[in-house]
Amino acid sequence: MRDAAPIPQPPGLRALFGGMLQVALSAFGGGLSAWSQRIIVDQRAWLSEESFLTGLTVARLFPGPNQINMAVYVGAWFRGLAGAVAAVAGMLLVPFALLLLLGVVYFQVHAIPAVDRVLLGVVAAAAGLALSMGFRILRTYRRDPLALLLALVTFVALQGLHLSLIPVVLVLGPLAMLLYWPRQGAGGTP
Amino acid sequence: MTPADPTPWQTLLQVVGTFLRLSLFSLGGGNTLLQEYHHLAVDTYHWITARQFVDLYALAEAAPGPSSMIVGLLGLGAGWRHGPAWALLTAVAAEVAVLLPSTLVMVLAVLNWNRLRDAPVRVAFEKGLGPITLGILFSVGVTVIRTADHGPVALLISLVACGLMLFTRVSPLWFMAVAGLLGGLGLVRP
Repeated sequence: MRDAAPIPQPPGLRALFGGMLQVALSAFGGGLSAWSQRIIVDQRAWLSEESFLTGLTVARLFPGPNQINMAVYVGAWFRGLAGAVAAVAGMLLVPFALLLLLGVVYFQVHAIPAVDRVLLGVVAAAAGLALSMGFRILRTYRRDPLALLLALVTFVALQGLHLSLIPVVLVLGPLAMLLYWPRQGAGGTP
Repeated sequence: MTPADPTPWQTLLQVVGTFLRLSLFSLGGGNTLLQEYHHLAVDTYHWITARQFVDLYALAEAAPGPSSMIVGLLGLGAGWRHGPAWALLTAVAAEVAVLLPSTLVMVLAVLNWNRLRDAPVRVAFEKGLGPITLGILFSVGVTVIRTADHGPVALLISLVACGLMLFTRVSPLWFMAVAGLLGGLGLVRP
């Protein structure tokens, strides 16, 4: 793969809205991150691969759905606050209207067994998608025993001890930040 | 059953309050709160049944757009007892409530991102919260698998979907469709 050439012209508000709408509508049944990479990096060449992945990490680390945060990142990167609004609106407005329509239909007809049975299958597949997210990130931390230990402690606290997420993050978050605080003299690059 | 049914306004305020409170704790991509959503929507407030939760999760996952829009569907379910118009209003309010705080934080963060680039607190935040996110994602994966567990065929579909996500570039749309077909044929049964 070639490195993306410098952006010919930064996208305007309308392009940001349209690009995010395209990402959102392409991502039937999940895989939205992959779609946004394909559209933002490969097709429209707005961001380099590296900037995109940095954005994805930031989007994941900050609170909020990472797809929405990614839209904020891309929008704000080019057009500040207005760009963030345009990108989030593109990501949400049409798909949300569509989803509410489906929701209304669901609450009207959900007693029909065939619909329930189809959903049983789709639900099982969706559960697999959710599980795959952990495995995907696990690869990144293969060689970091401290990270794996922290992940394990978090997992056991939530699944084994059934603790609530909020106290777990409030206790383990600062602890993890202390453990990973950059050390003096570690030869940090500017 | 609740002794007295809530008024439409009580439901709306309950929904908005709940999701505003959770917004900043949705670390790791929003769906990390799925467990919490389930607990609140089904057990605490009785907005929907456990079965409806699973169905709405599948709907949000299968429909185009960010899967975090499930919050809108939960709002829809909560408001449904007051009629479709109130349900839609509650749905929009729920989505805005869950997105507004986290999105504002993300906007501020991105606008200040370059200034923070070499700050130790940012490095520690990035490195420290990653492993915790990993633990959360695994916990969510296990919870969703358990929720969707309608017998061996469902479990098999989940695991195959997880494997396909990790090791192939097949669009999730395809295996969601196949899983839906298997469900529709009545093969996914306890």
